[in-house]
Amino acid sequence: MAASRGRRLLWHGRCWFSQTESGVPPQPPDSLYPPIVASATAKSKAAKRRRLEHFNQRVHAAASIEEKLRLYGQLQRPKYMLYPQTFALNADRWYRSFTKTVFVPGLPPRAAAAAAKAPGAVAPEAAETPAGVAPEAAKAPEPGTAAPEAAKSPELAAAAAPCLDMGELRSLACDALLQESFYQNKKRPFLYRDQDHTPGPFLTQLVSTLAAFLCGRNPLLAASSLDLKPQVNYYWHHGEEVVVHGHRKGRVDPVRFQIDDNPHLQIRVPKQLPEIVPLESDLGDVPVIDHKPSKLPLFKKQYENKVYIGSKVADPCCYGHTQFHLIPDKLKREKFVRANLEDQIEVVYRANGIASLFAWTAAQAMYQGFWNEADVTRPFVSQAVVTDGKYFAFFCYQLNTLALTVETIQNNPRKNICWGTDSKPLYDVVEDGSVKGFNDEVLLQLVRFLLNRPKEL
Amino acid sequence: YPLFQLGGPQLRIFRPNFFMLAVRPGVPQPEDTVQFRVSMEMTKVDIKNYLEKIYNVPVAAVRTRIQYGANNKRNHKNQRVKKPDYKVAYVQLGQGQTFQFPNLFPDKEQDTETRSFDDFKNKYMEREKQRQKGDPRRGGVPDWFGL
Repeated sequence: MAASRGRRLLWHGRCWFSQTESGVPPQPPDSLYPPIVASATAKSKAAKRRRLEHFNQRVHAAASIEEKLRLYGQLQRPKYMLYPQTFALNADRWYRSFTKTVFVPGLPPRAAAAAAKAPGAVAPEAAETPAGVAPEAAKAPEPGTAAPEAAKSPELAAAAAPCLDMGELRSLACDALLQESFYQNKKRPFLYRDQDHTPGPFLTQLVSTLAAFLCGRNPLLAASSLDLKPQVNYYWHHGEEVVVHGHRKGRVDPVRFQIDDNPHLQIRVPKQLPEIVPLESDLGDVPVIDHKPSKLPLFKKQYENKVYIGSKVADPCCYGHTQFHLIPDKLKREKFVRANLEDQIEVVYRANGIASLFAWTAAQAMYQGFWNEADVTRPFVSQAVVTDGKYFAFFCYQLNTLALTVETIQNNPRKNICWGTDSKPLYDVVEDGSVKGFNDEVLLQLVRFLLNRPKEL
Repeated sequence: YPLFQLGGPQLRIFRPNFFMLAVRPGVPQPEDTVQFRVSMEMTKVDIKNYLEKIYNVPVAAVRTRIQYGANNKRNHKNQRVKKPDYKVAYVQLGQGQTFQFPNLFPDKEQDTETRSFDDFKNKYMEREKQRQKGDPRRGGVPDWFGL
């Protein structure tokens, strides 16, 4: 829909009479006269509709995905830039209304029961008898019945061939942490560069070692692609507004948004993660905000309308698995605590999760040829971990619909769904070469995220 | 007053010479946003401290902009007359508080009886007569009569 309003510029010299137009009433074959349709160049609503139709047809009939993306983002106009990592107050509520997302606190039971599916079972450290645990089939039985218990504890997952050694995983995590913060002799961090000094390298090291360690359990990870500081971009329309200033004053325009995100790490896989809930499920309400987006505050700029998942269209790893985001220095916890804004700390994590995952899943869907006129036929699922080095928050996103424009949203009952947790600390403090207060739950959740894979694998 | 040293008792209170004027927003603002016209020299930090310390209003965020006053009007000498510039502050309240600018000019209660012109005339005459009468405590004696 982006280029719809600019179609009129391309009519010069183009013999469009010879093309078949949609919206043409079917003519009997023996009709002598050409079909009677509205003008395509007049300043009328019918003409605008006709131009829109023509544009939609062009995009539908595009030869390749690259061509489709090029036409989709061809017309450049001022658009709101959404930043996933933002200091704006209550940003997650606004972002949910822009992306038609329902937020469900807590992770879906499927993610908790993924440990049952995975051949990795976590035997608690206390009851450590690896030999004693009877190995069962790798495809654990009845994940449905196991689901209620899976949420509780790893006991249920005490069923699997090679059980995951919690101690080994913990030692991997602690090694990475100590190496970055204790053993390595680093100078003092530069001003406002604390996050790049220790938590950034720690996160990279942790994820790469864990991913390599779990490759044996999860063949999807073995075929995955780990990106460092990739770009993720998405451009979409949602809602309508009247142009206020300029030569286009008074015209009704769609509200355009663009997300340009730079996650710290990203894992892309060749196969799609399985859906969490059916496509048409309704798990809550989308907040409706009838103020202009600029009140958030959000600002407009005009530049390239980019849709990108981290790799180009021809890359085989075109589906997303997990993203890892690092909270920047501007949005650290201490700053919010000092400014008496404790409730906004969680808002930062949620806004980051919702915006980044929406952009990623929607870009993945566009890479498969879906767009707001051709809505997705299967849900796109991705995961994300948002952290500031010590506190980890986990998010799961299911994209059910791309149709967010004014025309397509009217009869669309589908909503996108985001599950997310609050931020929990991984450890309490690092001193004298040891990690105090290590939290196994958080590491376990991270491992479960990495082990997530489609059922047939 | 003794000279003030850091950490000593604060014996004097300085009130700032700034004034903040709460205004009705021209465009609809979110519920937690209040719009003020402030002095041009105030900063965001100043505004936050002003509201928190003097009025105990929890402030979460402040954004400011300067509104340029137009210079297009002309006076009788054809000189340009400038409207003054002013700074506008958008204050987002903390702790989930909301603010709605009140309606300062509510519609007055209309009388329920029929409002014919004669009724209006009678009421007006009564009000005029009441005004002409002097102080009721003087018992009808005119006010030029006295010491």
